[in-house]
Amino acid sequence: MRKDARQKVVLATVLASITMVLAGCANLPATTMYTYGDHATRILDLLMIVFWMAVAVFVVVQGALVYTVVRFRNKPAATTLPKQIHGNTKIEIAWTIAPAIVVLIIAVLTFRTQAANSVMPPEAIKIRSVAHQWWFEFQYFNQDGVSLSTPIVVDDQNQPTITTATDMYVPVGVPITVQLDAADVMHNFWIPKIAGKTYMIPGKSNYLTFTVTEPGIYKAFCAEFCGEAHAQMHFRLIALPAAEYEAWKANVSKIPAAATGTVQVLGLTGDASRGAALFADAKKQCATCHIINGTDAKGKIGPNLTYLGSRTALGGAILPYSVDNLAKWLQDSNAIKQGNLMGRVIKKGTLTDQEVADLTAYLDSMKLSVALPAEK
Amino acid sequence: MSSSAGQAHHGEAHQKPLVGSMGVDSRKLGLWAFIGSETLFFATLIVTHLIFYARTSNTLSSVGALELLDPRLGYLAIELTTVLATLLLASSLTMVLALAASKARDWKRFRIWQLATILLGASFVGGQIYEFIHLYHEGLKLAPAFEMHLSHEAHKALTALNLDPSIVRLKEAGEHATALVPSLFGVTFFVMTGFHGLHVTIGIIWLIAIYVKVSRFPESPENPMDIELGGLYWHFVDLVWVAIFTLIYLI
Amino acid sequence: MAIAEQKLTSTAPTTKESFQWRSWLATVDHKKIGIIYIISAFIFFIIGGIEAMLMRVQLGTPNSTFLSADLYNQLFTMHATTMVFLVVMPMNVGIGNYVVPLMIGARDMAFPRLNAFSVWLFLGGGFLLYLSFLTGGATNVGWFAYAPLTQTQFSPGQGVDYWILGLGLTGVASIAGALNFIVTVLNMRAPGMTINRMPLFVWMNVVVSFILIFAFPTFTVASIQLLFDRQFGAAFFNPALGGDAVLWQHLFWFFGHPEVYILILPVMGMISEVLPVYSRKPIFGYSFVAFSGVGIGFLGFIVWAHHMFGTGMGPIANGFFAAASMVIAIPTGVKIFNWIATMWGGDVRLTTSMLYAIGFISMFIIGGISGITLASPPIDLQQTDSYYVVAHFHYVLFGGSILGLFAGAFYWFPKMTGRMLDEKLGKAQFWLMLISMNVTFFPMHILGTEGMPRRIYTYESGMGWEMWNFIETIGTFFLAFSVLMFIYNVLVSLRSGEVASNDPWDAATLEWVVPSPPPSYNFLHIPHVTSRRPLWDAKYPHTTADDHHGEKSAPSQIRYEYSHEDSPGAKEIHMPTLTFMPMVLSAGLTVAALGFIYINQAILGLPIRTASYVFVAIGIVMVFYAIRGWVLDSRRDSPYLGHH
Repeated sequence: MRKDARQKVVLATVLASITMVLAGCANLPATTMYTYGDHATRILDLLMIVFWMAVAVFVVVQGALVYTVVRFRNKPAATTLPKQIHGNTKIEIAWTIAPAIVVLIIAVLTFRTQAANSVMPPEAIKIRSVAHQWWFEFQYFNQDGVSLSTPIVVDDQNQPTITTATDMYVPVGVPITVQLDAADVMHNFWIPKIAGKTYMIPGKSNYLTFTVTEPGIYKAFCAEFCGEAHAQMHFRLIALPAAEYEAWKANVSKIPAAATGTVQVLGLTGDASRGAALFADAKKQCATCHIINGTDAKGKIGPNLTYLGSRTALGGAILPYSVDNLAKWLQDSNAIKQGNLMGRVIKKGTLTDQEVADLTAYLDSMKLSVALPAEK
Repeated sequence: MSSSAGQAHHGEAHQKPLVGSMGVDSRKLGLWAFIGSETLFFATLIVTHLIFYARTSNTLSSVGALELLDPRLGYLAIELTTVLATLLLASSLTMVLALAASKARDWKRFRIWQLATILLGASFVGGQIYEFIHLYHEGLKLAPAFEMHLSHEAHKALTALNLDPSIVRLKEAGEHATALVPSLFGVTFFVMTGFHGLHVTIGIIWLIAIYVKVSRFPESPENPMDIELGGLYWHFVDLVWVAIFTLIYLI
Repeated sequence: MAIAEQKLTSTAPTTKESFQWRSWLATVDHKKIGIIYIISAFIFFIIGGIEAMLMRVQLGTPNSTFLSADLYNQLFTMHATTMVFLVVMPMNVGIGNYVVPLMIGARDMAFPRLNAFSVWLFLGGGFLLYLSFLTGGATNVGWFAYAPLTQTQFSPGQGVDYWILGLGLTGVASIAGALNFIVTVLNMRAPGMTINRMPLFVWMNVVVSFILIFAFPTFTVASIQLLFDRQFGAAFFNPALGGDAVLWQHLFWFFGHPEVYILILPVMGMISEVLPVYSRKPIFGYSFVAFSGVGIGFLGFIVWAHHMFGTGMGPIANGFFAAASMVIAIPTGVKIFNWIATMWGGDVRLTTSMLYAIGFISMFIIGGISGITLASPPIDLQQTDSYYVVAHFHYVLFGGSILGLFAGAFYWFPKMTGRMLDEKLGKAQFWLMLISMNVTFFPMHILGTEGMPRRIYTYESGMGWEMWNFIETIGTFFLAFSVLMFIYNVLVSLRSGEVASNDPWDAATLEWVVPSPPPSYNFLHIPHVTSRRPLWDAKYPHTTADDHHGEKSAPSQIRYEYSHEDSPGAKEIHMPTLTFMPMVLSAGLTVAALGFIYINQAILGLPIRTASYVFVAIGIVMVFYAIRGWVLDSRRDSPYLGHH
């Protein structure tokens, strides 16, 4: 019976270790164990050292516990009292020092990694990300005009050259410093495969510097609870080779061409030019919240929708981009993302299906040609 | 909050009613621990106030407007507060005299000094209420901005600075000019001093209760300890005011 | 040895007394108050557990629509609030209330009426917190309520106000309780019960009480400031109006981190009582175990910002708080080694209580190790706010506090009720609980590592999180079943369990001297203590010789007491009289707090606002009535004023 128990414990420990290793082996969409950014890689390197130290401590201490219990478990035959030992100062000092040494090693390694991860190289590209309930905005600036020593402030004099949402484009192999801000409540910027978390705090700018090592599309989340739709506040980091990144920047800065064309959606034919007129119609309220560059739509509450047709995802990166999903979102965003602010105004039935189809055609018509890398 | 500590101790109860294994009265021990806790309470309030004051003064001095708009100089009347502080310090003295009288079992003298303490405390609270009302009319409110009346010269000097309206907004109404400054100074000030005033009020109620009890049962041997406890709390409340007065008004 | 060999039988009267409400509602007896704490905390444990299970069902499958986002957010906030403030804290206080006076040879707490006030006010706070579910939704901002989400513009309902005032009441109750513990332990010890002879459970209760009185005020102030923000537009934590969102985090965690030790240290004290008894040895390194607890208490005040590594404090501040946090591993390690050494060479009896104590150590090792990775700022940036941190604190709070509390429950149940719990059922429950808690919580480490953020009500499929989430959900059902087994065990044992003697475990401390359950006055004769293990040394006098510190003390003269309420001499022991006033005072404060929640709800129209004033007024009248009555009632117990 006791032997069984011991075997069980051993078995469970082995299984747990195997599980951890297996968990590390699988390159899942958001795992922190497969890294493609220097920030996350340095953390992973540190974690692996600490992990094996932890395994050693676990085995020693847990082993000592189990061994003690098994060896000294009550023997029915025993009639004498065990020796009444009250302590042993030498041993106690020894095992006060032992954890201190382990901790000291971890602390030194920690400070090394922390120092490396805090560097903001002057040549870094500076991008500003503003978190909103419940989506991420990304602003790009003329790099000559920004410095790393003072926060970027957006005002009449200083406007971003590019404003986008949900998809964050960066070049590969170049250090990026993101200025993290929040428009309403606290959020947290997390791209698990690229970098650790940093808070986005209203009234305080934070900075995160990382270099992406491989082109790819990376999942990213808001990691701090920020209200009703927190669970559905994601974004995607799209890392492109430098030349393609520059091409994207050049293209996305242009005003979209006049909307033309049709799409088939909801069994209807959506017309882009009709959609453009609807979008501009004050009664439909689209322009109250959204910006489309080169039009009269100048709302600042929701995301900038210029070139929406080229986004990889919708609704805070919770739906993959497609005309069908776009139409579904416009029909009833509440059903997809409870609590989202647009859903408080544009409810189910606010727009007719034909209007949805036309708006879909319009938004889908604004496209760029970008060769997207694979999802990592 | 009288205790059964004495009763728990095998028959000694009727000789030393409230003294336990520490050799200290239980209630006194408890009150000291409570005062430790209250210290953290006021420390948090004071630190919050200092943080936000520093922020306001940094912003104002960065635009060169601190001399004209410093809320501490602009609102806090050092004269009145000095009088209030003196009242409260004097009440600590009368409290000591009341306790001394009670130890000498001179109940008449005790009543005089205790009453003096109560009256001094009450005039402090009255002075504070007066100050609050005065500040409210001056434009310092429980709101995240204060509105300061400006002299003609100050208005001219501020106009010349041509300040960002998010830092200072100047308003003119007839001959009177005011400056509206976003700042939490009023909020932190009123919450901090208000909670202190509340503690003084509770202290006054406590001292009155002691006064009534001692007058009714002058022969009770618990009296000196009851008075000492009320006094201990009263000295603490005074000390908090000394801290607030020094940190907020003087430095 | 002579005493130990006596046939011990309980002499507790077996006549069935009819249950008297008055004797409970007006009680000032530390034992009854302790039991009220324990039962209430257990009921809240079941409620918090149900909340957890609802969440696990929601997360068992991706894209689940079992719960709405908002309800899920309410549930996780209330689950944490409940487990921290309404379960583990009051359970510790309840057991402490029952056991500490007995352990130090006292007849009651220092302030029995204040003690009653604490328990009723704690229940008032719990009532307010749960009332919010019925009045438009409970708080849904997370238990650490980060600003500025708590501002009215983002959280317009009254849930947050209920939370502030509910916790405000439990906070006052906790501070009052802590003051009571401090004075009781310092001032009510029996003759000879010096500080360094006190049982370690008593030690830890004092340490925790000191932590509590110094940590809670910061939270009280922060929540008052938040209340001013919400009710009077003060903007302390509203950056849009000049406030500071990060300040809330500093104030909250300055309280919140010591709070973690408030939850775990009393349980460590329990473990330090249970392990020696079932190993039939003294605790190994008494001073090291006691002072490591003191050390943890001190260090707990300088590590708060390790909850905030990602807020941009800068590498130097992060480095300081990281180093301070890692230092806590040292006293914690010392405790664990000393516990193992206590069993080493002992005669380890694997009773249910002992199994739970060993389970506690084992699980706490895991929680401690995962804590080290979180103390390292770079690693923390990946693991914080992910399921990894959820795993970490469930290992220390469930694997630690809850398992430890079960060790204490099985250990002291006979003392409190006079009946033994069923050991066989208890052991089955232990193994089921241990395994199912690991099934439930261990995969959370993996999910966090795989990038699953915490506090999400749903997740998309294809992230690779489905399997572990499903397994966790299954685990919770087994966990719930193990709790049901315990409830069944308690109910059956109360009726027909084996009758407990004074000292069923052959223990060492004073609570086992008196009958099970003890009479209202505890000790007929206040014991004279001569050593750390007064009862043990009386039973086994020859074992006292090799006392570690070489203290040569008089042989222990402790004898079992077989007294009851009508024992000769018991009538001369003066115990404080029953009084309803502490309860009225608590009720008054609760009513006033309830009214205050709506004090500025002009939006809801005049009637609500008027009603709120009426509530506040009624509450204040009750408070003054109760204080007056309290003073009058206490006069009856005063040897000098009672004759009027």
